[in-house]
Amino acid sequence: MQKTIVVISKKIYWAFFIFICVSISALLAADQTYAESTRVSLKKCLKCHTDLEREIASRGAHAPFKKLECSTCHNPHTSNYQHLVKEHIGKLCKSCHKGKKGAFDKKYGHSPFEEGACLKCHNAHSSKNRKLLIAERGELCFSCHARKEIISKKHKHKPVKKGDCLTCHSPHTSDHEAMLKRNVTQACVSCHSKRIRSKEAKKSHSYYPVQDAKCTSCHNPHASNQRNLIKESSHKPFARKKCTQCHNSAQSRDPLGVKAEGMSVCTACHQSIKEDFRKVNTHVGPGVFCTNCHSPHSSDEAHMIKAKEAKTCATCHEDTADLLRDKKYKHKHPSVKEGKCGDCHRPHGSNFRLFFGADEITTCTSDDCHKRHASFTHPIGKGAIDPRSKAEITCITCHNLMGSRHDFSLRFDRKKELCIQCHKGY
Amino acid sequence: MTVQLHMANDKCSGVIMSKKIHLVTLFLIFFLIVPATALCARKGRIKHLTSITRNAETGRLGLLSGIFFDENRKRLYLTDTTNKRILAFDVDLKFVSQFNAAGALEAPTCLVRNSKGQFFVVEPTKGSVLFVDIKQRSVKPIDFSAVPEADPIYAGNMALDSADNLYIIDKAKQRILIFDEDLRFDRQVLVKEGKGLSDVKVGSKGNIYTLDTIDGSVRVFDNQGKLLLTFGKKGRDKGEFDFPVSLAVCRKGLIYVVDQHKHKVLAFNRRGEFLLEFSQLGWREGRLHYPSYIYVNKAGRIFILDRGNSRVSIFE
Repeated sequence: MQKTIVVISKKIYWAFFIFICVSISALLAADQTYAESTRVSLKKCLKCHTDLEREIASRGAHAPFKKLECSTCHNPHTSNYQHLVKEHIGKLCKSCHKGKKGAFDKKYGHSPFEEGACLKCHNAHSSKNRKLLIAERGELCFSCHARKEIISKKHKHKPVKKGDCLTCHSPHTSDHEAMLKRNVTQACVSCHSKRIRSKEAKKSHSYYPVQDAKCTSCHNPHASNQRNLIKESSHKPFARKKCTQCHNSAQSRDPLGVKAEGMSVCTACHQSIKEDFRKVNTHVGPGVFCTNCHSPHSSDEAHMIKAKEAKTCATCHEDTADLLRDKKYKHKHPSVKEGKCGDCHRPHGSNFRLFFGADEITTCTSDDCHKRHASFTHPIGKGAIDPRSKAEITCITCHNLMGSRHDFSLRFDRKKELCIQCHKGY
Repeated sequence: MTVQLHMANDKCSGVIMSKKIHLVTLFLIFFLIVPATALCARKGRIKHLTSITRNAETGRLGLLSGIFFDENRKRLYLTDTTNKRILAFDVDLKFVSQFNAAGALEAPTCLVRNSKGQFFVVEPTKGSVLFVDIKQRSVKPIDFSAVPEADPIYAGNMALDSADNLYIIDKAKQRILIFDEDLRFDRQVLVKEGKGLSDVKVGSKGNIYTLDTIDGSVRVFDNQGKLLLTFGKKGRDKGEFDFPVSLAVCRKGLIYVVDQHKHKVLAFNRRGEFLLEFSQLGWREGRLHYPSYIYVNKAGRIFILDRGNSRVSIFE
């Protein structure tokens, strides 16, 4: 009797065990998509996509493509993404290409990489170039990055000439500004270590200890019309090598120190600027704050600004820079698109809101801009009161020039929301 | 037997009494343990009360720059920079008067008033802080000659403590200049690593609260300038800043920070932990459009300069 019970219980045990195994495998199978569980051979795909036949034979073909594993990336039936890929391209690529030694996890990211637009640089199937790049390295970079600015200049940095951008820059992410592989000084010294120590270099730097200085504050690392790749426009004392006009002498204890406190080192010559900083809103800051935005030696930009205008402003106004990059807000003022912040805002100081050069209406309807608009617009200015805030209606009551989802940079959709904000009866 | 019953009744009522005492004790403990700060700033408890907007009496409001509530005289003062004047409102926020210190005000920004009724007004275009004594009919700039490295001083916002000591931001040196009640320079508090010192307030215990717009940090110093706490950073998450421009400290130690680009006010407890945020971008009552300054009075009313909407929004 007891034996029969043991046999039955063993049978139940095995039946239960098999049931569990079957259930688990069924669950696992159910979790897989068609494309994952059934590898679709390229042979089937090639029946229609005959143009791929040539590509597959090329030397630099993408490994899954070469192995005829189309379904590694594509779903043969349906997809939410173009070209029937299984995921957003960025995610899809990163599912295999995770970046060696944290190569994809650094502080600064190349914008196509950040956006997951891998195909801006790489071809997904094959390429005659290394790393499936769509063009030779230099050509590829210049397709987006200011070819004219670099190529047209008289003197060029050797790696730039050869198109070896990756000598200094990382293509995906970097721990350093401008996607540099090392910090600016190290990047330069890694090749020019002997030259920087030479007598000639010491003499040309007026014997100031510049070995640890940021080389790019005076030199353009790509190209320039000036000898030694000095940037296009130079501060007069710098051009005349009159360093002691601002700095202590090269033989002093603190040779790179400046002769006066704060902005007075600059206003000793630029007297008229003082007034700009005696305003209600100013960009007064600590130390020689003029150099927060201006280069004291040389620059490629107007007014000796350190970098392009918008980039200079964005060093402090990061959130505004994020807003400008946000693709949702596609309707922007032309000056915003061109990064000309100074068209509307006064960079030193202003007695008006938001650092405008005048009140909002005057700023917008000044001679060069919307003068005509002022004569036929919705009532604005004195006597035109916004019923919501009881404040005067100005241009920015209805327009958000920094970026909007709506036509004409309007704050609300003009077809359904804008007017009824105030005109409730309609 | 009767005695026993009485005793049993006594025991019962004793138990009930002790239960009641327990409940009362628990109730008291609950209110002692739950921090006052949490109660004072629970979400939904900060409501918009009213706004000060232009009217027939005030006329057109220009660029509004400073607010101060005089606790002794129960007056609210508001600087209208464009129109070179200071407006006064009573405790019910009704317009009382306006003055321009006999034409001495050129572009008044921040203002405070001490217990003697004397005003201090920042005049950035003159590069000075004016001392306005209405009783004596005198207006003179504060003497900065005793301040080290005083050439030049770029005065920013100001604050007063309970002893009438005056705290002035020097933007170029990233420091707080402290003057005693007789306007003698007393000491300075250096805000090390400060990049964009934008506001200062003094708490009820004398601690100095500063705000840095550029790195988005709030620093709390003791009255001698020892750094006690730093908190806050820029970012997209809740409790992080886009562009903080002004701060205020309530009597209970809550710290309110106005974020101009978020069009919101963020509140933190005295340890710098984020509690809540209120308001949002808008033009209607209770909403903000590029707010620029905040002041909290002893009664807990929060006055916000809503610069984009040319009004003062009052919350409680």
